[in-house]
Amino acid sequence: MDMVTNVTNFSRSGLFDWMFQRGSALILAAYFVFMLGFLVTHPGLTYAQWHGLFASEFMRVFNTLVLVAITAHSWVGMWTISTDYLTPLSLGKWATGVRFLFQAVCGVIMFVIIVLGLQIFWSV
Amino acid sequence: MLLLLHHSLATEEGFESVKDSFANPLVKLVVWAMLSALMYHVVAGIRHLIMDIGIGETIEGGRTGSKIVIAVAVVLIIATGVWIW
Repeated sequence: MDMVTNVTNFSRSGLFDWMFQRGSALILAAYFVFMLGFLVTHPGLTYAQWHGLFASEFMRVFNTLVLVAITAHSWVGMWTISTDYLTPLSLGKWATGVRFLFQAVCGVIMFVIIVLGLQIFWSV
Repeated sequence: MLLLLHHSLATEEGFESVKDSFANPLVKLVVWAMLSALMYHVVAGIRHLIMDIGIGETIEGGRTGSKIVIAVAVVLIIATGVWIW
């Protein structure tokens, strides 16, 4: 009856998406705790401290990893939301097209974030 | 938000101007709202991970877990509010 329209996931069974979601979640949680801890322990932060933090090689690599993690985590999340709610049941025959468009927009936004983020982190 | 970060990193004046903008109550409100949403997301996500390990996967467990999430999130959100203001 319906053709297969699920081609925008990372894996056929969805297991890789599932794992990537959890892995990226842990990376992002670690980063969040780290940044929050840094800000809380440095009240009255100076430019020298702030700039110094981001200029270290460790931070540049960590931030790049965080960029990848955010992209993967939100891609899986938005993919799940769009496949759950933008369905033929809710949108009729336009569902697949609308869903693809929605996912494409998400993809473009993610890509822009990656490019801008890389520029910021590697020019410090 | 990325642009804000870039501005704060590029020059000392940029950093100071971003820092000064945090004195504005509207900015504080927006930042607090974003952090609160993010923190709820993180706490609920940790609940997902705990349930993935197998803890709390029954209906009673689910109900208890959701109450814990809301309680922890409210505490963290209030703490963030105190910190920001």
